[in-house]
Amino acid sequence: MSRDIRPGVVRLFRLALRRQRNVADEAGDEVAFHLGEREQQLMERGLSSTDARAQARRTFGDIDLARNSLITASRRREHRSVLIETTANVAQDVRFAVRSLRRSPSFLIIALACLTLGIGANVTIFALVDAVLFKPLPYQRPAELVRVWSDATVPAGIFEIVKRESTSYSALEGAEGAHQASLSNAGDPVRVMVSQTTAGLFNALGVAPAVGRGFEASANESSSPLTAVISDAFWRAHFGGDRSVVGRTVQLDGISRVIVGVMPPGFAFPADNVQFWTPATFVRNDPSYWWSTYFALVGRLKPGVTANQARAEAAIVLPRARSSFPMRMSDQWAQNVDVVELQQSVVKSTRPTMVLLYGAVGLVLLVACVNVAGLYMGRTMIRSREIAVRTALGAGRVRIMRLLLVESLIVSTLGAVLGLMFAWVALRALIVALPADTPRLAEVALGGRVLAMTLLLTIGTAAVFGLLPVLRVSRCNFATALRSDSRSGASRLATRASGMLAVAQVSLAVTLVASAGLLVKSLWQLQNVPLGFSTTNVVTSAIPLPAFPNDTVARTPRFYDAVLEQARSIPGITSVAVASSLPFGDGRQNAAMETEAHPTKPGEVVPTPQLSSVSTDYFSTLNIPLIQGRLLNDTDRETTLRVGVIDQTGARALWPDGRVLGQRIRYVWNQDWITIVGVVGDVKRDSLSSTPQPSLYLPSRQSFPRALRLVVRSSLPTQSVSASVRAAVARVDATVPVGEAVPLTRIVSGSAARQRFVALLLVAFGATALLLGAVGVYGVINASVVQRTREIGVRMALGATKQNVLRAVLKQGLTISASGVVLGLGGAFASASLLRGLLYGVDVLDLTVLSGVVVLLAIVSVGAALAPALRASRVDPLTAMRAE
Amino acid sequence: MPTPLPLVKGTLDVLVLKTLSWGPMHGFEITTWLEQRSGGSLEVEDSALYQALHRMEERGLLTAEWGQTDKNRKARYYRATADGTVFLKAETKQWARYAQTVSDILSARSKVTAA
Repeated sequence: MSRDIRPGVVRLFRLALRRQRNVADEAGDEVAFHLGEREQQLMERGLSSTDARAQARRTFGDIDLARNSLITASRRREHRSVLIETTANVAQDVRFAVRSLRRSPSFLIIALACLTLGIGANVTIFALVDAVLFKPLPYQRPAELVRVWSDATVPAGIFEIVKRESTSYSALEGAEGAHQASLSNAGDPVRVMVSQTTAGLFNALGVAPAVGRGFEASANESSSPLTAVISDAFWRAHFGGDRSVVGRTVQLDGISRVIVGVMPPGFAFPADNVQFWTPATFVRNDPSYWWSTYFALVGRLKPGVTANQARAEAAIVLPRARSSFPMRMSDQWAQNVDVVELQQSVVKSTRPTMVLLYGAVGLVLLVACVNVAGLYMGRTMIRSREIAVRTALGAGRVRIMRLLLVESLIVSTLGAVLGLMFAWVALRALIVALPADTPRLAEVALGGRVLAMTLLLTIGTAAVFGLLPVLRVSRCNFATALRSDSRSGASRLATRASGMLAVAQVSLAVTLVASAGLLVKSLWQLQNVPLGFSTTNVVTSAIPLPAFPNDTVARTPRFYDAVLEQARSIPGITSVAVASSLPFGDGRQNAAMETEAHPTKPGEVVPTPQLSSVSTDYFSTLNIPLIQGRLLNDTDRETTLRVGVIDQTGARALWPDGRVLGQRIRYVWNQDWITIVGVVGDVKRDSLSSTPQPSLYLPSRQSFPRALRLVVRSSLPTQSVSASVRAAVARVDATVPVGEAVPLTRIVSGSAARQRFVALLLVAFGATALLLGAVGVYGVINASVVQRTREIGVRMALGATKQNVLRAVLKQGLTISASGVVLGLGGAFASASLLRGLLYGVDVLDLTVLSGVVVLLAIVSVGAALAPALRASRVDPLTAMRAE
Repeated sequence: MPTPLPLVKGTLDVLVLKTLSWGPMHGFEITTWLEQRSGGSLEVEDSALYQALHRMEERGLLTAEWGQTDKNRKARYYRATADGTVFLKAETKQWARYAQTVSDILSARSKVTAA
């Protein structure tokens, strides 16, 4: 087809090269031709046609062999030349694309900026989401591991029953959530996080200690020696990575334990912060067997057993075990037992947040892609004449599309490289900003999976922004393009298409901005939630139990009394108290109780108020108001009447008839009555958005001895409070490691950390999308003003005023954003289910937020359209009409 | 007609290239030309010729293109490439030296000893 065009021209204009012919036919033809000629020759020499044919074949030799080897040779040649041609073509396409990109640096810079933001943000969030949600857990064959009864923990007694009676697991073990303990050995006492486990935990997870050994099978028996295994991080930080640590004896909460092993780096179970694993000691005839240590159960499913089968079994075994408790348990106990993959249970609460973020960042990338597609389309349109010339000279559409795609691939690859750098920086910032309780945070990194994802994104974005214009090019009528000038004809179509792209961008931006707006508003609502207590000038720090191996019951109150006395004497401290748990803090405890007035009938839900044992000044330190009766006071001691103070919610729930004072309540397993002497105001306990739950306050002198937190109200700065409290405690017992003093305000605001983090990111994403969208709108309006210069000139010559023109152009911008707003609000509404868990006191259709978004978008779109509109209104009719 | 000589191994390529130095030819023309030049004393099997042609094409010594004969039939025309020409020159020189050496030895009349 291209015989008459010189090869140089063919290459220069990317014209189609020779098509591949049928190799077998050609070989056959060549042999047949030869035989024919020979026959002819022989006949000319006088042979008959039959003889001639026979002799021709004879002299030729093995015809089939020749033909076959010809075919093979040709095929090989053909393949090689195709390969060479393709490589040469691609190399040439790349050179060509690089040359044409270098000619338009502004396009390249804007496109790269968009893609860097888009790809970079995606890679960042993917690295996060992948580590938190998808990466397999770092245990052996993690798919077999399940969490049994995922939202509950069970005491040792129940663990042993379930382990004995279940057949679904090749191993079933448990670990207690980490608690603080003091490690005293040589040197200063240290606070460490300890998780008590069952003996076979490491075996069940399939992770062996890197140094030393794990626990013996009998480790939970009270006759076994007391041992401990430590984390790699703690080993390095505290023991300097010394292997001889194995065999060393340490004091944990005053109890001597021998360190037998060090876990490998990265091992974290059940939480990232665990530094010590110790085997729990099971004393089967002691009540503590049924209530002291609560294990989260982890099972390894036997081959062929599914989580569903295990669940069916657990739903029978666990409720049956309830009757083994020595005390009466709520009838609801173990009514909804589940068995879920360990991975799912680890990430359960984080999943919606991560999905939301991933969706949001995906939208940002889309907006960026659309932006680049718009730019690219504009560029392609400018080049439509050039493309038309190529086509007229015979360049195939495939060839031209390939050229354009190579160009977009180059741009997106550059974008991806910059994006990776962006992600590298952004991840560091994000890890710091993420709520500390996010699971598996330590595993976040730019690994192979992330790089694979980046590659996918690169190709994907190149396809999206590269293909849109290419599709248009392939549909374009080149004859028209060639005849007309570059400004009319095809470009009208382009204007409409880029208008649609701009609408898409605005709508995506609106979706993000509206979601961000809803989150910000709910954060604002949360800031103003009445807490029920005062946080100003209140500082708290943890004070573990001192290391008393024996007679703890008698000594603990004396220790805390002494600490309180010492702390009260510090100048500048106005009020001091201790409490077993603080609002928004750990140490929460609930107990099944019954009231004298309304004994729980079988089948009824047993009330389980939250318990706090507090010292006398607790209420005044936190400014919790007294509603009725009296507060706890110093006369409530071990020997006096057992008393308690209930909050308003508890009063309403337990004594609905309103007569509360003097009523009695007790633990379901204990005969002693507790008399209610006062009612205090409700306090937010778990989170700002939680609904109030009944709370019962007991005098610390009359309740279980346990580690308490010190609460201090003072006008001094936190640092000096911390120092003086440390000094005060040290005067009582120098072996007790005092926790860092933390302002209560920080603890409270920390409880909204996830909302704040998501809101922060969404606001950033929204702003980015909005900026990109504004650029998109600007581009469209600007292009249309340039195109319509002549038309505007004519209108002005016919009497249109500057204001008319200005208004017309601004209206165009507003139309785009109005359509975008409508579509985008629809999108925001559709994605609201993901947001719902993070919203507080805000409806998905919140009027303030929605109207705010509309106003914001109106401002942005007017802003984006203003410059082109002003330029249009300054058009000089004479110049405009004379041009072209 | 004298008994045709069997072809010495490796000479076919050079002969083909030499033939093509007169200009592009198709396979049958090459055979005919070789037969005529040798007066029928060289035996070139057609099948072997074609395999040699394609082998040389692969090695880049020849190129081929479909064209028309004067009788308007479609035929595959071979042409020596620049590489082919260089190859021919080198091989010719080599062959001449070789033939000279061999024939000198074979026609020796006295035993020459190094003094």
